[in-house]
Amino acid sequence: MADPVTTYVIASGVVLAALAVTFALLLAVADRFLRVYVDPRQTQIEEVLPRVNCGSCGYGGCAAYAEAIAKGEAPANQCTPGGPETAKKVAEIMGIQVADFVPKVAVVKCQGSCEYTRERFRYVGENDCRAATATHYGQAACPYGCLGLGTCVRACPFDAMVVDPLTGLPRVLEDRCTACGTCAAVCPKNIIEILPREQYVHVLCRNQDPGRATRQTCKVGCIACKACEKACPVEGKAVHVGGNLAAIDAAACINCGKCARACPTSCIGDFRRLRREAEKGESAEPEAA
Amino acid sequence: MGLLKDFTDKPIKHNPVFVLVLGLCPTLAVSTSIKNGVAMAIAATAVLVGSNLLISLIRRFIPNQIRIACYIVVIAGFVTMVEIVMKAQAPEAINKALGIFIPLIVVNCIILGRAEAFASSHGPFASLMDALGIGVGYLLALVCISFIREVLGAGTLWGYRLTPVTVGGTTVVPAYVPITALGMAPGAFIVIGLLFGFFYWMGNRRREAVRLTATPAVPQVARDFPKPKKEPAAEAGGGETGWAEAKA
Amino acid sequence: MEAGYVELAIGSILISNFVLAKFLGLCPFFGVSRRTSDAVGMGLAVIFVMSIASAATALIYRHLLLPTTVNHTNLLGVLGLPVPADGFVLILKTISYILVIAVLVQFVEMVLKKSVPGLYRSLGIYLPLITTNCAVMGIALLNTEAWRDPANGLPVHKATFNGFCGGVGFLLAMLLMSGIRERLAESRVPKALRGLPIAFISAGLMALAFLGFTKLFGIAV
Repeated sequence: MADPVTTYVIASGVVLAALAVTFALLLAVADRFLRVYVDPRQTQIEEVLPRVNCGSCGYGGCAAYAEAIAKGEAPANQCTPGGPETAKKVAEIMGIQVADFVPKVAVVKCQGSCEYTRERFRYVGENDCRAATATHYGQAACPYGCLGLGTCVRACPFDAMVVDPLTGLPRVLEDRCTACGTCAAVCPKNIIEILPREQYVHVLCRNQDPGRATRQTCKVGCIACKACEKACPVEGKAVHVGGNLAAIDAAACINCGKCARACPTSCIGDFRRLRREAEKGESAEPEAA
Repeated sequence: MGLLKDFTDKPIKHNPVFVLVLGLCPTLAVSTSIKNGVAMAIAATAVLVGSNLLISLIRRFIPNQIRIACYIVVIAGFVTMVEIVMKAQAPEAINKALGIFIPLIVVNCIILGRAEAFASSHGPFASLMDALGIGVGYLLALVCISFIREVLGAGTLWGYRLTPVTVGGTTVVPAYVPITALGMAPGAFIVIGLLFGFFYWMGNRRREAVRLTATPAVPQVARDFPKPKKEPAAEAGGGETGWAEAKA
Repeated sequence: MEAGYVELAIGSILISNFVLAKFLGLCPFFGVSRRTSDAVGMGLAVIFVMSIASAATALIYRHLLLPTTVNHTNLLGVLGLPVPADGFVLILKTISYILVIAVLVQFVEMVLKKSVPGLYRSLGIYLPLITTNCAVMGIALLNTEAWRDPANGLPVHKATFNGFCGGVGFLLAMLLMSGIRERLAESRVPKALRGLPIAFISAGLMALAFLGFTKLFGIAV
């Protein structure tokens, strides 16, 4: 009986070598028949993309978008969470020029908190705005208004939304928002819009009922009084009232904020000071807690 | 020293079970009693230390495409060593209780995960500290879970039956009927679920406080703007400020 | 007593369900079970890997690791190497099993990437993670270690069947879990328990239900 140590060593060597050779052959043969040709640029692009799979590019996920870019079917600047840096990197990999990237942010266009409006009935059911909307447009007095159940907050893949404890409405944490569009897609009332960050003035209401009806449902709803239109200094007016609701034309708007001051129901919001303070805060302390 | 701080930080901040959520299978299976938990933690730490050290020593010589296979082979080698040592030295009861989970250390995500995440890109001493830190964290997690499961589920503590103890009139250890289900499969899941919930709750309190204080102010709406001073000249017809118009 | 096919099936699927009774395969169980479509895909991949891994490892165990007996010969002995009394089991079992599993998973990855790229992408990182899935390694170890015949383990055909049934049990648990999680996502769960904690507690309640299968039809596992 040979020395057990030698036996073990030789046995280990033989077994493992045999297994390794068999498997290497198997994998090599499999690779020969099962190889999938992938454009190397596609892998590079996939690595550069943020891998959040939010779908704001219009494709089914980062992998699908990378494939489309590599095939030449998609422009390079569609990734909103990635931002301009990603667009630039993708353009570098593909060797193309990229169009200018417009930074956007989500805006919640409703101010209907408990202070300003009321509920028509007590909703008991699945804790989801989409389910609540199926019940007679939801429990809010205004049929166009926010229900406050937080579906958008839970849907946000970047934790950039929070339910304000004082108002019960969703609030966008603009420093974290990447404008991926997930919240806008899940809101059943289409209250959230993805708009350019440079646009400071927004009409924070969706109510298309006549003014008399709106006055009864929500204190801060748009009553289509056209005060904003009259206050707008732009020639041809940057804000128009149509379908009982004011709407700001972002192309024409100069962000002066006069319509916001003019609105008698305070339904137009001016985000200028908020965003300027955020910018100042960012440049003062680059790493907030 | 930076590395020492890593070592004290890792067990809590990078706890493999509760923070990294790795290595759940053996954790749930062996946490029926503290003895088993400690034995498993020691075995896993031994493998982790050995594999981290060796992998970080040979990291420059491993080609990138086959690195995972190489790590697995190294880890399997150490697991075999630990297996043989335990079969020889450890008490029979422990071996029987741990059963197949000793060879299953080879597929324990903690070890492969740390090899991939840390040992493949850091020097030997740092990898050693990392392994020890993670190992201590694993030990703490296992002791946490097995303490609850053993005391409440089997009525023993480190194998000693817990008899009711009264000290000067106050009952220190009451008499109770142990909940057998805690020692079995359902109990493991429920206990670890509740522990996760507890740690999330503690973490959330700190995180939420930060998040909400960082929330910026609301956008300004008409009611927040200061009312402009009345300028009689501008008020006549088509005034710049809209106030006069709105009131009309 | 030889284990029959029905006993193996009921034992591996219901009585000792791999996830809910044996704690094997928990990482993909909690990671992939958010959506039913992902769960089904993962479950099918695991069934395939588990069956073939059981077959391969049982072959290796009987013909490479165990010493020559009446039922089977040790190939290394045939090659002329002196085989110790209890075979090479202790030294080579773990490493040869894990090699087999790693290669199998690599192979399955290639097949899936070629034939169903959609499923391949949706499984993502969890497909290569089947390599470190305790369930696959666990079934290999259980087939060859226990099951009433510690000396030889299960014969190869029964081992394969056991692996298949273990995979079916895993798929069953994943399906049930994904159904529960899809409903949980819309419920009012306390903040601290959202996500993993409530998933664990649900799994615990499922395990409690599966405990009721103990000694079903008198099968003792």
